[in-house]
Amino acid sequence: MRAMNVAVGVMVLVSVAADAGPCPTRSSWPTTAWPDKTAQTTAAKGPQIKALEDALFTLTGADGDRKGIRTDGLLIIKGGELIYEKYARGFAATNRHLSWSVAKSYTSVLTGVAVQQGALSLDDSICKYLKQYEGQSVCEIQVKHPLTFGSGLGWQEGYEDEPYQLSSVISMFFGEGHKDQLKHILSHRRAYAPNEKWWYSTGDSQLLATVVKRALEAAGHGKDAFWTLLFNRIGSGGLVLEEDALGTVQGGSHLFATPRDFARLGYLMLNDGCWNGERLLPEGWVAASTTPSEVYVKSADKSEKLPSGYSWWLNRPVPAREQPKPWADAPEDAYAALGHWGQRIIVVPSLDLVIVRTGDDREGSVDPNLILKHALEVAR
Amino acid sequence: MKRSTLRWLAGVLCVVALAGCEGAGPPRRFDNNDLELAVGNSARMACSCLWVMNRDEAYCRAWVKASPDVARFSFDANRKTVEASSFISWAATARYVDDKRGCILE
Repeated sequence: MRAMNVAVGVMVLVSVAADAGPCPTRSSWPTTAWPDKTAQTTAAKGPQIKALEDALFTLTGADGDRKGIRTDGLLIIKGGELIYEKYARGFAATNRHLSWSVAKSYTSVLTGVAVQQGALSLDDSICKYLKQYEGQSVCEIQVKHPLTFGSGLGWQEGYEDEPYQLSSVISMFFGEGHKDQLKHILSHRRAYAPNEKWWYSTGDSQLLATVVKRALEAAGHGKDAFWTLLFNRIGSGGLVLEEDALGTVQGGSHLFATPRDFARLGYLMLNDGCWNGERLLPEGWVAASTTPSEVYVKSADKSEKLPSGYSWWLNRPVPAREQPKPWADAPEDAYAALGHWGQRIIVVPSLDLVIVRTGDDREGSVDPNLILKHALEVAR
Repeated sequence: MKRSTLRWLAGVLCVVALAGCEGAGPPRRFDNNDLELAVGNSARMACSCLWVMNRDEAYCRAWVKASPDVARFSFDANRKTVEASSFISWAATARYVDDKRGCILE
């Protein structure tokens, strides 16, 4: 079975290189605004909406106590239309929200955009775009490795609940690594050969985002290529993606967008990487992104129960690891971008659905299955 | 059980334990102290909160509060900078760059 999974992965990778195929057709695209059908949903789904809001918008204690589930925004897109939208804790539709690790899935999509543009290949060494590292051992790392959390760098992912001095992440953003974050990432020792071990890493995503940015610049797309080639095209021109002072892109965490913009990324994925008839991602890219990666299947710790593809999290059973699908109340084809403190973009292709949830869960992030369970009742 | 056997068994267990960590190795320890991290977090996150997320000061002060809660920040709305400090020696500044790249910690 493991060999079969790997074979499927290889086949999907091969298909990425194929010529662009036809794009899905839609009656409208939400480049300027989402068609609003929220009033109809409110009228038709009162009990289901109450159950959804009781589950996700009920604060525990005073807001300052930072207890329980703290939802800031929740959107449901069904058939390309906004059928539910609610904000809380002072947020509105116009406020950008910190994505945390949802940014990793944006970086994945930006990688696909660069491949589609012919600016880079998944098999390229990262050193092709990071010339200052040429000749060093990190040149073994190819673009596809950080895309699937397989760089092999001994990154120490850790957040506020763990010892700060042992966290590569906290050190990179606020400590010794913050001024030159690329150098900080690549200063981590080689713990494994690339593609030997699945190892969740904000450093991998940030490395990848920086490589993609450099590749697009080298191909003549300019320093704002992320906006001109992706964000502006899908109506997300107001998106902010932070960098360090030397231009290392914080594509593993520090992306800010409105919930409606997060929904647009989900909608791009839902439509096979096409937007309004234009193919932004290579044919087969979305399929590869939502297939458990070879490195995950063969090497992730058994405690890691959430399969991933190209930095997207999947509701797939993985027989080779004897894992059932992780979100019991959702179809197997569901997948998601997930971030710290409960940020979620969930896509359910079989139901033509995108769900976005932003939040500030400081006691452990809300379970995607809880969101799915109630949102699906509203959407059905 | 003889003492020599116990020593041998302990040795085997050590080898097994090390093999379990093969590749990972001992954790790297970063040269940061909590105060440096606290002021860096406060300045950087407050800057993004105020001028990227467009939230008000009260919200941002609550949002950036970290443990240990030792950092205090002030901001200059005209220059779009945030300065955070803790006790006497520790300070950090974050600056809003532009509408695409948000804030950086200097």
